[in-house]
Amino acid sequence: MTGRSEVLLEVDGLVQRYPGTRNAAVDDVSFQIRIGETLGLVGESGCGKSTTARCIAGLTRPTGGTVRLGTRDVLSASRSALKSLRRDMQMVFQDPYSSLNPRMTVADLVGEGLLVHGLRPERRARRDRVVELLDMVGLPASSLERRPRSFSGGQRQRIAIARALAVEPRLLICDEPVSSLDVSVQAQVLNLFKKLRTQLGLSMLFIAHDLAVVRYLCDQVAVMQSGRIVEIGSRDQVYGAPRHHYTRELLAAVPVPDPPVERERMRTFRISEEST
Amino acid sequence: MVRFITRRLGQLVIVFAGLVVVAFLMSVILPGDPGRAAAGRNATVAQVAEARHRLGLDRPLLMQFGHYAARILHGDLGTSVFTHQSVLSDIRQVLPSSVELVVAGMIINLVIAVPLGVLAAYRRGRPADVVARLFVLVGAAMPAFWLGLMLQLIFADQLKILPLSGQLSFGVDVRRITGATTLDALLEGNFPAFGDALKHLILPAIALSASFIAVVARTVRSSMITALDSDYIVLARATGAKEWRVVVRHGLRNALVPASTILGMQLGWMLGATVLVESTFNRTGLGAYMVTGVLQNDLYAVIGSILTIGVVFLLANFAVDLIQLWLNPRLRPRRRTSAVPLVTSPAPAGGVS
Ligand SMILES: Nc1ncnc2c1ncn2[C@@H]1O[C@H](COP(=O)(O)OP(=O)(O)OP(=O)(O)O)[C@@H](O)[C@H]1O
Ligand SMILES: [Mg+2]
Repeated sequence: MTGRSEVLLEVDGLVQRYPGTRNAAVDDVSFQIRIGETLGLVGESGCGKSTTARCIAGLTRPTGGTVRLGTRDVLSASRSALKSLRRDMQMVFQDPYSSLNPRMTVADLVGEGLLVHGLRPERRARRDRVVELLDMVGLPASSLERRPRSFSGGQRQRIAIARALAVEPRLLICDEPVSSLDVSVQAQVLNLFKKLRTQLGLSMLFIAHDLAVVRYLCDQVAVMQSGRIVEIGSRDQVYGAPRHHYTRELLAAVPVPDPPVERERMRTFRISEEST
Repeated sequence: MVRFITRRLGQLVIVFAGLVVVAFLMSVILPGDPGRAAAGRNATVAQVAEARHRLGLDRPLLMQFGHYAARILHGDLGTSVFTHQSVLSDIRQVLPSSVELVVAGMIINLVIAVPLGVLAAYRRGRPADVVARLFVLVGAAMPAFWLGLMLQLIFADQLKILPLSGQLSFGVDVRRITGATTLDALLEGNFPAFGDALKHLILPAIALSASFIAVVARTVRSSMITALDSDYIVLARATGAKEWRVVVRHGLRNALVPASTILGMQLGWMLGATVLVESTFNRTGLGAYMVTGVLQNDLYAVIGSILTIGVVFLLANFAVDLIQLWLNPRLRPRRRTSAVPLVTSPAPAGGVS
């Protein structure tokens, strides 16, 4: 169904080697994300998921490989080209406690992208847009002048999402955005992602170590092991007929085999989906 | 909020009381007999005894302390045997000039230390970091009076671009309003005199601040490194913010909180360090007053100066606490958390009885 749509992100032969380490943190990683598609990247801790995300976002310079967003090369981009690339690519981090500057108000945090990209130069317009964004992620306009510390983890992650969406990115890179949240809150935030994706036609790179989470949200799944992608394919293919033994191991390690439990879990997601 | 301030004020009073005790003990223990000093160098034994009685020095120590504390609370710091004035009025006379020097030193401290600390953190491990750290270390390693002499030698004696000593050039006059020469010149609207006073201030301020810069630069560097490594910095970059905004708006604003604590303490220390600088540069001030006091065995003048420095130190720290409270809401004690023990702790006691 997405086969014919245009490729948005193309990662080719990405390698990241940190000085003083024997094996590359990211070793010859290649994949594509089409417009409107969500790719789930799963793998155990330390397998190089975050490093991949950072390289794509142009936050660290990889040892080798290419990253293209549309027709533009991210890694060889000039300073100004990188800035406009960053407008098209926004990130949400794992820990909403450390990823929001504690000394800034919600209005400043969410409005920062608008400000630095000159999208809403006037204060009033920026404020209106921030209120709109907060509403989109389910936060009241009264949050504007508050600081992150007065919000719960789930609410903070909503702020982080609103901040990322402010500049209307084409690609949203989420690095384990729900793994630091309680399960019930996880479901709410996941449903928010699902809603926003349909509403805004977002493409997403969604990193997780929880296979159930990826299954719920993603069209395509890539499985990573010690820096390499060992299996990549559609959700149904990877979950239904895993080809690589590591994928099978991962699937076996998750308490998914118990069907009632899994059904219950999916039900929680759906129930809270209705409430968002 | 009010509780926090009241608590800090309480601490302030306690520390001040401690300061008074130390000052009193100094007056008892330190060499130099105040009775003899008051009676004069050529006084007879009877005259000295009479002076001792007049000063209450023949009474028990505890009573002497009571009198001493009461006098201090009334602002009576004793009389200087050298100037024959009350120590308090002497200090009032010289303190503004020292404050002026400390403010100038503080400005130099900030202007050099903060950017250097930020630069060192930003380029950590690179040559710029090494050079910056070496630079401040050399500054800190030089004794202030020696650095003062070197500065005089280079900038006044050799290059002749800055005045050697004093507060104003010959023939330049400023009416005393506050006692701080630069400020008085400004208040008078006498701009040439202001420039002249400023020129006289530069070298002593550098000599005074050199040893303080290292501490601030190091604090800024380390808290800046913590800030620069945090997720919100990476995220700010990912959002597309320029480096300047990332470093200053996101990084520095968080990194300045620990530095401001140090700066508050340095304000008091700097006032003490004027002892090492003012005489070298022949400036009026608390430091020079203290040096004279020590040389003249003028006990009350010395103790009064020390008390003044202590009080300034306490007040500066209190002010920093308030500023931090205002800048950083995170430090505000949360009502909820502080209320919890109050509610729960009486409960088990009630259950037992
Ligand atoms: N700045 C760095 N310097 C050196 N090694 C690093 C650095 N960052 C990451 N690594 C190493 O690279 C490897 C991959 O790290 P990465 O953070 O990408 O893993 P991850 O898959 O995101 O793990 P997690 O699920 O725990 O977030 C790890 O072995 C890590 O120790
Ligand atoms: Mg990670």
